Amino acid sequence: MSELITAGRKRVPRALDSRSFPGVGPVAIAALVFLYLPMLVTTIYAFNSGDQALVWEGFSTHWFGYVLTNHTMIDTAVTSVQLAAAATLTAVVMALAFALAVDGLRRRGSALANALMAAPLVIPEVVLAVATLAFIRMIGLQPGFLSLYLAHTTFCIPFALMPIRSRLDGIGREVFEAGADLGATAVPMLWRITLPLLVPGLVSGALLSFVISMDDFIISSFLSSAGSTTLPVYLYGLIRRGPTPAINVVALLLLALAVVVTSFTYLAPKKKRSES
Amino acid sequence: MSKPARPPARVPGRLPWFATLPALVIGALFTLGPLVVIIAFSFMTRPAQGGGVVYTFTTDAYRTFLFTKSFNGDLVFNSAYLEVFWRSLVQASISTVICFVLAFPLALWIATRSPRAQNLLVLAVTIPFWTNLLVRTYAWILLLAKDGVINQTSKALGLGAHELLYTDLASQLGLIYTFLPFMVLPLYSSLSGFDFRLAEAGYDLGARKRTVLRRIILPMAKPGIISGSLLVFMPALGSYVQPVLLGGGKVLLIGNLIASQFGDSRNWPFGAALSVIILALLGLCLLAVGLWARRSGTKVSLSL
Repeated sequence: MSELITAGRKRVPRALDSRSFPGVGPVAIAALVFLYLPMLVTTIYAFNSGDQALVWEGFSTHWFGYVLTNHTMIDTAVTSVQLAAAATLTAVVMALAFALAVDGLRRRGSALANALMAAPLVIPEVVLAVATLAFIRMIGLQPGFLSLYLAHTTFCIPFALMPIRSRLDGIGREVFEAGADLGATAVPMLWRITLPLLVPGLVSGALLSFVISMDDFIISSFLSSAGSTTLPVYLYGLIRRGPTPAINVVALLLLALAVVVTSFTYLAPKKKRSES
Repeated sequence: MSKPARPPARVPGRLPWFATLPALVIGALFTLGPLVVIIAFSFMTRPAQGGGVVYTFTTDAYRTFLFTKSFNGDLVFNSAYLEVFWRSLVQASISTVICFVLAFPLALWIATRSPRAQNLLVLAVTIPFWTNLLVRTYAWILLLAKDGVINQTSKALGLGAHELLYTDLASQLGLIYTFLPFMVLPLYSSLSGFDFRLAEAGYDLGARKRTVLRRIILPMAKPGIISGSLLVFMPALGSYVQPVLLGGGKVLLIGNLIASQFGDSRNWPFGAALSVIILALLGLCLLAVGLWARRSGTKVSLSL
């Protein structure tokens, strides 16, 4: 619809243009600058050659080498990636099964089920963190990789679910009806129709879960043990001691991860956004 | 967009209902379970030393919230923890309002660009959203530190250095920065479908720009305003990272208070009671919005 309007847009004086409002443009630009200025500063200082985070001594990639050969940094990054991969895989499979089956629940049941799935999104993270800590102690688990894995899977499910669902809603039911009319039974239908059509949703769901898990600090800090420190938990400890060139580099690398993942989900085949 | 009265017959190829069970069991165990435990813990007794709880019923934890014991054992009203809640409410409210003031023009501006530009701009707002919270907070340390970018600039201009980091203002700024995308995205999604010919019709009928904004566009954006405000206010209320890293831990907010009860202070029942209080507060908030949405027929969704 908006394409139509744009196509039919004529050159009109600004004051009469129905799409421009006084003051909106400058505030919008200011907000964008506000969003990007801190990231720009981080990016620039990651290439500082000096030993102090904030004293510019010339361009160098020296600190990238330092970070990429620092054992603690690498160990915690590996833990984070393993954790994110495991939680993502589980969350996507569970979210997929949930999305494909939730219509089979009775209406009240499905409302409750949806509320339960969305709950981690509205509970304050600190509360969820301390509550999960109390809960795992209660059921006899200890903080560590298993606890982290279970907690991360739980809060990744809603993020995996959103794109899978919106993709599923975007596919007309006639596709599945045609499949059934042509004699596809449950398993071939899943493998040859449903899953291939859901691939974009599955990919964005997986990427979002992965990033959400990689980024988590609060819940992880309560559930980490000495052997299972994640990168954000380690990073937090470093940041508390003040800025260093090494943190600048780690920050830039994590920023790059966000840029790559977000661009990928956006530039991948467009899903319908309007219905979400 | 009208819904059929009866749900349509099942779409072929869907899985049977019990395929929802793995996700539901995980949810029940690790979302509902912890909530039940935290409510239970808030009514239990603190052990003589160390963390954890002793399984004896008491409402001491809630009493601690409002009262302290004086020397002779009387309960004396103590407003210290109420003040922490109040401070958190104020910071969360300021964050919500300022985010709206910045996000509304931005969302409207994006919605009035060409479709191609809209996609790119939404991407530009989404990138900070998916960037690590610690990284976004750290970036402000680089800006606000004593020898940080702002002070370097200010000194170069002959304005001298200022104490910016480890202040209330820094913590507040961090919250606004963190949650701005949470406001922009829902606002944009309620404005992006807007047919600007309606605004034109408004002008034809003699309305001024300001009237069109107030009487046509703002009401259109209402669902976005509500869900954006919730998405900013709720996490801002329980924030933990920004007050410590940018506020220097000098300003105590609910999030830090709760975390410290499970950390250094080792008073789990009190931490649990604080969690229950904040959950009840947010529950009331959601309930009020839900009731309002039902009465006014506005559809409010919390997803982005």
